Amino acid sequence: MSFFRIKKNVYPLFAIVASIAIIVYALVMAKRASCSYFLIGAYFWIMIFGCFRSCLRMLPIYIIVGGLFSALFYLATGVASSALTMANRFGGIFLAVAIGMSVESVTMTRNLSQLRCPRSVTLGMLIATSFTTVLRTEINRVRESMKTRGAGSILNPKIFYRAFLIPFVTRLVKISDTLALSVETRGFALGKVEYTVYKKENIAFSDILFLVGIIVGGTLAVVL
Amino acid sequence: MEEKTTNKTEEKKSNKFKIKDIVFLAIITACTLVTGAVMPLLVNVPLFGIIQLGLGLQFSLFPVIGMMKVRKPGALIFMAVFISLFLVFMFPPMVMIILCAVVAEGVVLLFFRGYKSDWACVTAGTLYMPLTIPLLYLYYNAFYTVNGEEKQAVSMFIGSSNVGMAVGISFAVIALCFVGSVIGMLISRELRKAGVLKK
Repeated sequence: MSFFRIKKNVYPLFAIVASIAIIVYALVMAKRASCSYFLIGAYFWIMIFGCFRSCLRMLPIYIIVGGLFSALFYLATGVASSALTMANRFGGIFLAVAIGMSVESVTMTRNLSQLRCPRSVTLGMLIATSFTTVLRTEINRVRESMKTRGAGSILNPKIFYRAFLIPFVTRLVKISDTLALSVETRGFALGKVEYTVYKKENIAFSDILFLVGIIVGGTLAVVL
Repeated sequence: MEEKTTNKTEEKKSNKFKIKDIVFLAIITACTLVTGAVMPLLVNVPLFGIIQLGLGLQFSLFPVIGMMKVRKPGALIFMAVFISLFLVFMFPPMVMIILCAVVAEGVVLLFFRGYKSDWACVTAGTLYMPLTIPLLYLYYNAFYTVNGEEKQAVSMFIGSSNVGMAVGISFAVIALCFVGSVIGMLISRELRKAGVLKK
């Protein structure tokens, strides 16, 4: 019965396939008006299937960036279709990013671990995805210390190199050493070691419906 | 004979990736990713090599730091694999960066026999991003042929409208990546002197 349950998030691998499909459709049909309809439909479809927040977050960015590029292209070419092309292309990419944002790094790691992906790859992906917030904090700290020491403007290349880059990389090395120790003490091992996945990611009916909806929508937009 | 075999097995052991190597490479990849977040904006600008020009510096600087710390064959490939998961959502063809990493590593292993020399890391860092230019050229060529109609945009993307500009941008990308790699090497050398970056 778990197959028919309603899931909060899309199956991670299906999310990747869906985002690739959307980008491909958007790039291939960028010049057609049907592409815009497809993208609007896909936007609401994605929203229904657990990407509500990321879709809302992406919308203002898309309006600003997509609008800016469309306006630029319209001014450069004087043809409305080139503005539409640009809007469609950006729409496709922002939709794909919205899907990507809704996939949690932990679920992706679990999914890949279930599929017996090498441990080194899953560990690396997990760290790379979840490290962005730590990086932001570290960047702020280094900048704060620059201010405290009166190091000068970060826009000066010499100051940027000496007072920002070097302390920043030093912090990264220290963090990585601590994190590696922490990972090892939690019993994580590389190589051919038996392991279990605590929470398994299984395909549900809603995941199939999500993917099929996008593929059917894209195909209809191409054919009609 | 025995000494030789023990040396070989020791070398093989030292070339195996440890958890701390993977963690450091992943963190460096996160840095590359954060600084390369402009990619979704660049992919739609119909100018040959714009992606490489926008990302060249960070895609050479950080990988070189990674390779200078983890001097093992495969370090660059690991970084490319980690980053490709995000690139799928931003611009799927850039996943071909894994192939570029394989080629760059192959060249380095062929000429330097590993990452013992600092210049080996610089070479790999310099080749890494520019190698995506021919791959993206092939991609745009094939992809937009399906589309058909936008010949103007295609020629802008693949640089066929102005060969001189395409060649110039390619050299600019290589130069930018070289500068980034050298900066990465200098940072790593300073950190090594300070005792932060242990081999």
